[in-house]
Amino acid sequence: MEALKLNFQDKTNKALGINEEDALITKTYMLVAFTALLIGGTLGLLQGLNRAGLLELPVWFNYYQVLTAHGLLLVLVLTAFFTIGYFYAAMSHSLGGLLPKVRKMAWIGFGMKIVGFVMAVIPILLNQATVMFTFYPPMAASPWFYIGLVFIVLGVWMCAFGAFIQVANWRKNNKGQHLPIISYFATGVFVLLFFGSVPVAIEVLYIIPWSIGWIETINVMLARTLFWAFGHTLVNIWYLTALSAWYVVVPKIIGGRRFSDTLTRLVIILLVIMNIPGGFHHQIVDPGIAESVKYMHVFMSLAIGFPSLMTAYAMFSVFEKTARKKGGTGIFAWFKKLPWGDVRFLAPMIAMIAFIPGGAGGIVQSTNQLNQVVHNTLWVVGHFHLTVGTTVVLTFFGISYWLIPYVSKRVLTPKINKLGVITTLIWTAGMSFMAIAMHWVGLLGSPRRTSYTTYADNATALSWDPYLMFLAVGGTLLMIGVLLQVYAVVHLMFFAPKGETEFPIADVEDNASKTPMWTESWGRVVVLLLLLVAMGYVIPLVEFIGNAPPGSPPFQTW
Amino acid sequence: MNQFTAGLFLLIFLALPPVANLLESIMVVHMHMQMPLLVIAGFLMAKLVQERFPVFFENWNSNGVPGILLFIIIMVYWMIPRTMDEALTVQSVAIFKYISLPFLAGIPLRDSWKKLGDKSKNALIISFTVMFFAMGLLYIMSPEQLCNNYLIIEQITLGWGFITMAACAVVYLIYSAVVDPSDYV
Repeated sequence: MEALKLNFQDKTNKALGINEEDALITKTYMLVAFTALLIGGTLGLLQGLNRAGLLELPVWFNYYQVLTAHGLLLVLVLTAFFTIGYFYAAMSHSLGGLLPKVRKMAWIGFGMKIVGFVMAVIPILLNQATVMFTFYPPMAASPWFYIGLVFIVLGVWMCAFGAFIQVANWRKNNKGQHLPIISYFATGVFVLLFFGSVPVAIEVLYIIPWSIGWIETINVMLARTLFWAFGHTLVNIWYLTALSAWYVVVPKIIGGRRFSDTLTRLVIILLVIMNIPGGFHHQIVDPGIAESVKYMHVFMSLAIGFPSLMTAYAMFSVFEKTARKKGGTGIFAWFKKLPWGDVRFLAPMIAMIAFIPGGAGGIVQSTNQLNQVVHNTLWVVGHFHLTVGTTVVLTFFGISYWLIPYVSKRVLTPKINKLGVITTLIWTAGMSFMAIAMHWVGLLGSPRRTSYTTYADNATALSWDPYLMFLAVGGTLLMIGVLLQVYAVVHLMFFAPKGETEFPIADVEDNASKTPMWTESWGRVVVLLLLLVAMGYVIPLVEFIGNAPPGSPPFQTW
Repeated sequence: MNQFTAGLFLLIFLALPPVANLLESIMVVHMHMQMPLLVIAGFLMAKLVQERFPVFFENWNSNGVPGILLFIIIMVYWMIPRTMDEALTVQSVAIFKYISLPFLAGIPLRDSWKKLGDKSKNALIISFTVMFFAMGLLYIMSPEQLCNNYLIIEQITLGWGFITMAACAVVYLIYSAVVDPSDYV
């Protein structure tokens, strides 16, 4: 009876669209995400202009403060709020509406994140937390900054546990069925969010007493390692979120079918299991890790490339199949049959294409010898503006053009679609200018995280200037893109004509083979994840703790 | 590539001198990566062996107990610090390592695992968990260098490797005790 009732709920949900209360959660999360984009983007423009030597920032709001806020707003607030808002809508849609308990947890999580965020931002504005978004010790910020981060993590956990409760409840009521694919992605993302933020929580709880002065010194290498166990996982959480749209949503928008369900689920499982130890490739020039251990970690990092290659194959296979069904011919001519004028396709498509050079750059950085050339240069910044700034963000933009009308019960008008296409093209042009210039000038030696300087008119430093000018041009274009995108979001949320928009989920092929039941065993996935974490972390952590140096007192370098 | 070729390829790859040197240069990798990979190589090769010699396995391992006993003996043997030392310094012991782990542990494990009941499987996992905790404590607490070839810090690392693996096994055991899969699938 219970199952019948739920099934009925499920059907009404699909027929009538999302219920008001669930929609409110997603709308609120999206508003925060795109406000963060607006403020973070503006700060990005200030930085770009400063880096090109065009703008001198005032003493009371210096380059490093701007950089810290830009990083925090875009890599933490925008992505976290978007991901959670998106997947809560996805769960509401595919699992028959959120449970009242889960809805409450999403709101408590929202409150904790906002409180934490305000606590973290105030010291940044007061120039007491100018530590960049990586907050590496021994640079020490005001304790309030770290306490704010703790609240953000707790808020994220609240949402993760809400998702687990929702999924477990659905599975109990739908025995023998596979979790709908979009919720399967959500489960993977929330598992990673939880396990990935455990190390950073430990790090921050270690930093707080040190920044207050209760303990005198901190183990710098240990803190960095704990940070990157989280940092790299966060990167792959964005990636997995983007993947969910590529695998599930994009095929529906182009009028095709999904690629193999089993492969999709396998990609999720692999990304969840192999992720956390990948953090070590961010520490490839750090001392204290034996060369042989670093070498083995390169394997671990490159292993993550494997599911990405499977994805590339799957996506292009879906495109070709769909285009040929629509009458596409030739080796490449079928490309013309894809709906290039539809922003819901165009944005994620460009995102995917950007991931080809983005992924290749990532392989360069995780390879020991090549990393020596680009480490801590603007190359790295160029890399993550391609991966996060283009691949992830353009996918998010693409999602917003159907997700926001879906939750606000409005429709995407041809006008806004056109605006979206223009935004996407401006964004692509801006990011191309910026990312190519950054990669190039990085190879020439220009350092990252450095305010504009000519190093007393040193010839090499002066030779970077033309590239930095391109960076500023890119930044300006991106600012236009941000404004257009935020306008589109606000319009779709409050002003677009009323109507029904569907949550696009593609079906599998008619002759698809059955997905094996082992894919549903999340307990086993988690145990394997923990085993891989143990494999990756036991050696360096014992070394860092067992052979620890005296440690460092806090420093305020700014 | 069928499983047998994969297993054989893995065994040959692990025996290549540069690979063996790299894996054996770190104590915990030697015990917790190279040795399990050798067992996995045997596990993969087992299928063909089972198909070729069904009567042998039927006669000697009909209920799975002899096979799993052989597996336990081999595994316990290679957990002793002295044997690791010898594998690095005595050529014949090194050869024994490459033969015993795939063929006397990997193959019997695959043949026995399916023949064992749920209770025996859990008993096996529990006993290995307890053993891992004990070995972990031994390696962490020992004030002496247990292997001539490895420093004390490496020994401590190995100890923590044992403890974390045992902790993962505990998570698994709790999961399988608390969560009833038939509630969900």
